[in-house]
Amino acid sequence: MFVDTVIEDKALHKPAFLIGLFVAVLAFFFAFNFTDTFFGEFLRPVIGEPKESGFFGRLAVSIVLAVLFVLNLFVISFFKLKGQIAIVWIELFLLFLAFAYSFDLKMSFIQSRIGLMISQGLFTTIYISAVSIVIATVIAIVGAIAKLSNNGFAFAIASFYTSLFRGLPLLLQVYLIYKGLPQIGFMVDAVPAGITALSLCYGAYMTEIFRAGIQSIPRGQWEASRALGFRFSLIMRKIILPQAVPIIIPPTGNQFIAMLKDSSLVSVLGVWELMYLARTLGQRDFRHMEMLLTAAMIYWALTIVLEVIQARIEEKYKQKG
Amino acid sequence: MNIKLSLNNAVVVLLIALFSISMSAKAGDVYDYIKLDNEILIATDANWAPFSYIDDDGVMQGFDVDVGREIAKRMGVEARFITPAWDVITAGNWNMRWDVSVGSMTPTASRSEVLNFPATYYYTPAAFAVHEDSTLTVPQLSGKTICTTAASTWEMYLQGDLDMLNAPAFTYDVTPGTITSLVDGAACLDDVRLGAGVRNDGMIDSLPMILAAIDAGYPIKVLGDPAFYEPLSLATDKGNDDPELDAELARIITEMQKDYSLSLLSIQHFKNADGTSADYTVSY
Amino acid sequence: METQDQTSNLSETLPVISLSGVNKWYGDFQALSNIDLEIKLKEKIVICGPSGSGKSTLIRCLNRLEAHQEGTIHVSGIELHERMKDIDVVRQDIGMVFQSFNLFPHLTVLENCMAGPNWVRGIDKNEAKKRAIAMLEQVKIPEQADKYPEQLSGGQQQRVAIARSLCMQPKVMLFDEPTSALDPEMVSEVLDTMIELAKSGMTMICVTHEMGFARQVADRVVFMADGEIVEQNSPEEFFNNPQHERTKAFLDQILK
Repeated sequence: MFVDTVIEDKALHKPAFLIGLFVAVLAFFFAFNFTDTFFGEFLRPVIGEPKESGFFGRLAVSIVLAVLFVLNLFVISFFKLKGQIAIVWIELFLLFLAFAYSFDLKMSFIQSRIGLMISQGLFTTIYISAVSIVIATVIAIVGAIAKLSNNGFAFAIASFYTSLFRGLPLLLQVYLIYKGLPQIGFMVDAVPAGITALSLCYGAYMTEIFRAGIQSIPRGQWEASRALGFRFSLIMRKIILPQAVPIIIPPTGNQFIAMLKDSSLVSVLGVWELMYLARTLGQRDFRHMEMLLTAAMIYWALTIVLEVIQARIEEKYKQKG
Repeated sequence: MNIKLSLNNAVVVLLIALFSISMSAKAGDVYDYIKLDNEILIATDANWAPFSYIDDDGVMQGFDVDVGREIAKRMGVEARFITPAWDVITAGNWNMRWDVSVGSMTPTASRSEVLNFPATYYYTPAAFAVHEDSTLTVPQLSGKTICTTAASTWEMYLQGDLDMLNAPAFTYDVTPGTITSLVDGAACLDDVRLGAGVRNDGMIDSLPMILAAIDAGYPIKVLGDPAFYEPLSLATDKGNDDPELDAELARIITEMQKDYSLSLLSIQHFKNADGTSADYTVSY
Repeated sequence: METQDQTSNLSETLPVISLSGVNKWYGDFQALSNIDLEIKLKEKIVICGPSGSGKSTLIRCLNRLEAHQEGTIHVSGIELHERMKDIDVVRQDIGMVFQSFNLFPHLTVLENCMAGPNWVRGIDKNEAKKRAIAMLEQVKIPEQADKYPEQLSGGQQQRVAIARSLCMQPKVMLFDEPTSALDPEMVSEVLDTMIELAKSGMTMICVTHEMGFARQVADRVVFMADGEIVEQNSPEEFFNNPQHERTKAFLDQILK
């Protein structure tokens, strides 16, 4: 998006908007009734026993929350853009922590198991995702070229492939490959089966991304290359793909991030990856939320790393252009 | 644009290579391969304390796991545990991914179409549990929402379709309105703990598992007498029938019953509702 | 390779390019009809005509960026047809300059010029670089060698495109309206480069509306309309004494 050169007045500094926002937020908090939470407890001196405070208590809590919310926005609106972003991020993160805290987590329990979750679970997750990403990329390049070719045979195979593997739920593909391939003589273990399913599924999505990327390169590039006497594979390797890569990177980065989390579907085959351990490690002591939240944080951290890497690569290509 | 077929060929070769890495031409004599590899591959659940679970060090533990280790020891081979989802195990057609299930499987007529049950090694009561605030009784659970594990005997019981083999007699006391079938019992426990009637009105699972949850502080209670007692057996793949393996497994279990090692394992892992140790290895 | 031997043995009297009875259709529309044309080594041809007359299509058929459907086209004695094996070898000997430059935007000016010799002629990098710098000097922009195309003006880009083609040491150069996409003040720098090239004895086929260039450089001017060659003649005859009504009408318009 391109920002206009004319700055509009901030909506938050218009009284009408502030009042409207306040009413809407008040209605929201009133509808969901927060008297049973920490906030009701906080207002005990005013409303008495939260459970018995009734309409008055509910309204009082809602008003306090709405005032805090609108005041918060109002204050933030005076900061510069970067400050606004930082404050909102921190506030949302604190809310998330509060949500996690509400589960009455036992930190010592997490500490005793996080080593295993990382050494066994995270390692397996990264291993499966990384191998799948590499294979999916190879499939996508070949698939995209096949889909763009005028070879009927290649086009038919590629379009059937993308149609089928984009058309089936990934979990179903995992089962089909794990249970189906042995029937035709290919005995695949759980990890290769999972990698195959992930590669084929994401290869199909990425085929379409690569196809669009290749198609976006102007025809003149093909003609100039041909006029110099370049053969197909040379044109593809040296002229078209290098120019398509910057176009392909943002959607491909998205696919990588999605795959990282979809690799958890392999847990149905009994692979001890992150999600599997998150479900099972807390079992003996029946403390599931600890492990699930730990896994959530690990997945999130991993995603942030990938996002940073993606931003770096995009930046690099931007500079070169 | 003309496709270069060599590129396509390269990928085909690559895929075939990928598959063939994991391809093994094993077929037929399962027991011979166990001896040859000096390793028995045992399928069991990893999310079902106190029967089988992963401990802090990432090692499998529990009653089933100890039984599996003992079987391997008496065969003179190493034990390796594999933890596929329960419905993947009960579906049969293992294709020699693992050799035997030591996972407290109840022999049923439908399962026996794809699996062999060489030896029953213990019997557990199945019981209903509800949130501790619930006022329901077992008969009142009829028409309510009951949670259980997908593809389990408890699910079959709720469906009125439990065709156990060699099992003590029982009656269908509950006909639920809705059956919520989840991946494992742990998922049901977490639903039931939320409160009476919040997600489910109750659940049915193995009594030792419910007692272990109560021990861990779950706000639930066991309801009434056990619904039924189920014999629990080793299972092997009918698709790769090996009478030699089945006979060996039966021999080992009989031996373990005779020298009381099976009873000792049960006492070590299971407790009754009153806190006393439970020997589930004798039939009721 | 056999094809290369054939090209190097060409004598100056034999046509380097010859077309005979060439027809081409886009669907129902006939883009070229019954084209007969012979171009000898070192000859400079200017093709002109109203837009839609088929002149660009014709020049693009000469290195088979477009396919013709009937008739024959021979380049250096090799017939161009859809089943031919070594079109890339033929194309290596025919340089082409496009209206929209078509430089490779991800490569520097120098890399654009080195790409052909290094990747398809098999010349090592140092040698290719020397040659590229020499050609950039010939088109008078050696100082831009390390820039990317988008940093250059249109006229500079087109001169790089000419240098890129020359690095392949082609036998023939095709120019497809090389100045049409340029701002007016940049036209002359490109035309000057082309005139220099003509003086050096290059065989050139130019589709252009630049009649001053045609007068100064061309051995022959070919006028096309509706996919046909209406008239071809020496520049003096063509401009001073056009034979056909259509030619006259065209010249009236363009020289007004």
